[in-house]
Amino acid sequence: MSPLRLVWKNIAGSAFRSWAVFLCALVVGGLLFSTVLLVRGAEDSLRLVQQRLGADVVVVPEGTGDRVETALLMGQPTKVWMPRQNLDRIGGVAGVAIASPQLYLASLANAPCCTAEMFVMAFDPQTDFTVTPWLNRHLGHNLGLAEAIGGSDVFVPYGEDKIRIYGSEIDLVGSLERTGTGLDTALFLTFDTAYAVADGSYTKAVRPLEIPPDSISAVLVQVEPNVDPRVVALQIAHDVPGVTAIPGSGLFQAFHTQAGLLSRIMAALLGTVSLLSLLLVGLTFSMAVNERRQEIGVLRALGATRRAVLHSLLVEALMLALGGGATGVLLAALVLYLFRNLIVASLMMPFRIPSVPSLLALAAGGLAVALADVALAVLLPALRASNLDPATAMRE
Amino acid sequence: MIKIEAATKTYALGRGVEIAATRDVDLEVARGEFLVITGRSGAGKTTLLNLISGLTRPTSGRVLWNGMDLWALDDAHRSALRNRQLGFVFQFPSLLPSFTVLENVVLPTAFGSNRRDPNVPGQAAALLQRVGMAGRRNAYPRQLSAGQQQRVVIARALINCPEVLLADEPTGNLDAETEREIIELFGELQATGELTALMVTHAPHLVPQASRVVEMAGGVLRAGG
Repeated sequence: MSPLRLVWKNIAGSAFRSWAVFLCALVVGGLLFSTVLLVRGAEDSLRLVQQRLGADVVVVPEGTGDRVETALLMGQPTKVWMPRQNLDRIGGVAGVAIASPQLYLASLANAPCCTAEMFVMAFDPQTDFTVTPWLNRHLGHNLGLAEAIGGSDVFVPYGEDKIRIYGSEIDLVGSLERTGTGLDTALFLTFDTAYAVADGSYTKAVRPLEIPPDSISAVLVQVEPNVDPRVVALQIAHDVPGVTAIPGSGLFQAFHTQAGLLSRIMAALLGTVSLLSLLLVGLTFSMAVNERRQEIGVLRALGATRRAVLHSLLVEALMLALGGGATGVLLAALVLYLFRNLIVASLMMPFRIPSVPSLLALAAGGLAVALADVALAVLLPALRASNLDPATAMRE
Repeated sequence: MIKIEAATKTYALGRGVEIAATRDVDLEVARGEFLVITGRSGAGKTTLLNLISGLTRPTSGRVLWNGMDLWALDDAHRSALRNRQLGFVFQFPSLLPSFTVLENVVLPTAFGSNRRDPNVPGQAAALLQRVGMAGRRNAYPRQLSAGQQQRVVIARALINCPEVLLADEPTGNLDAETEREIIELFGELQATGELTALMVTHAPHLVPQASRVVEMAGGVLRAGG
């Protein structure tokens, strides 16, 4: 008979203890995995969207910073406007290398003219540094009239070959990499296309697309080399009235803070659960050792060494922890995958599923913590069991 | 083969009070001997068996196996000796409840070098046949009578072909008829092999096969019978 068979029999023979350890490991492993995955996914998204925008400073109408950030991260369409002349004033601020205007629009929802409600970003191909580099790399040319590229979740509807925005048909010529943010559901097109769609909307759509004359929504700024974007942002705010200038490092600060807060709350929850599991598993195994004193004495009489008794209890606990931890990680992954949209909407946080190696590392981390938690809890009772005097144990 | 020299075992009762379970016990057991240890409850019979088997350490004195001091060995070697050279039959129910009869019989092999020996299940089946339990190999202990359980325990004690069989009141919980059957079985097993047997019993008259009877009284060993 192999010692593992003995361990397995003990697991099968004590349903309460086995389930207690299994469930504790499941909760610890699953919670750790989901916590780190959520926070890591949010931070990855924030980093990626900052990279995607590529702006050192983002200038928006005064007081609309939160709305624009939410639009970019959560894909909630927004319409904000400021005078186009701001573009020239921003371009004239010392330290500004490039200033590129953008229009933030929303397509119509549930209208026969349109595919679906989408956040639409129009850019100026002459100055743009957000989409144009990608276009040059992947398409070899910029967007033409009535052409657009979409985020990873933008598709041409089934049975059609174009996207319809305010009644105008748009060719979807490419899709961007997933970011886990609102940019995944956004449509990117040129100013010319945006104005053409707006002009056509008066006859083709149930409601016209109104773009106020000589207006823009935002200006993305790249600063000159060795210039501090924070200084440039302060200078823009000073020189251009009625705008909010957000340096790249300060972009999505509220979301970073939220991710940090979520991280701290989840860490506290995880710490509490781990401690409770430690106590529960420790108590359960202490009770088991007390109940099995005579049995442990018999095993020692039959030739089990102290080390064999210690190993047997530790392996029993670790097998349960491995099973529970792995189940917890798998369940957490499944829940996060199935309900990711609901979770993202509830937490008001962007989320991007990390790469497979990152996921595997997270899963291994979740398992390792569950195993360590259970091993720590079982160590004392197992040591006590292995040091029992067999003769005394059998007599009780 | 087994020699005990002036073995005393005391237990602390707390507040500085100690009780001696055995006092200066000297005993020598030869190979093939069937020694019966008798005495009243609390006389120190079980402690003597525990001293012989290395399950408890003498407070003073020595326990020698083939000239080797048991307590000069480390735990691993002492456990290996118990595993390979000793078979135990306890008074209390000692079968593991979640194991079948056959699994209980092969249990000692989990701690020995023969754990992967493919012949072990066959040997266990043969032992169960020998103790009259071949038909119950897949039963669980709770499905057996006390006498049947003791028969399985005897089979378990013999699975590693030990040199010495230690039985601590093996019939203590059995009715008279089953007690007689079990003691007869011991006699048969001991007579057919080169087994050395030490049996603690209240009823030495039921063990006519015994080659020697000694009596424990107040922790002191004296010739009896």
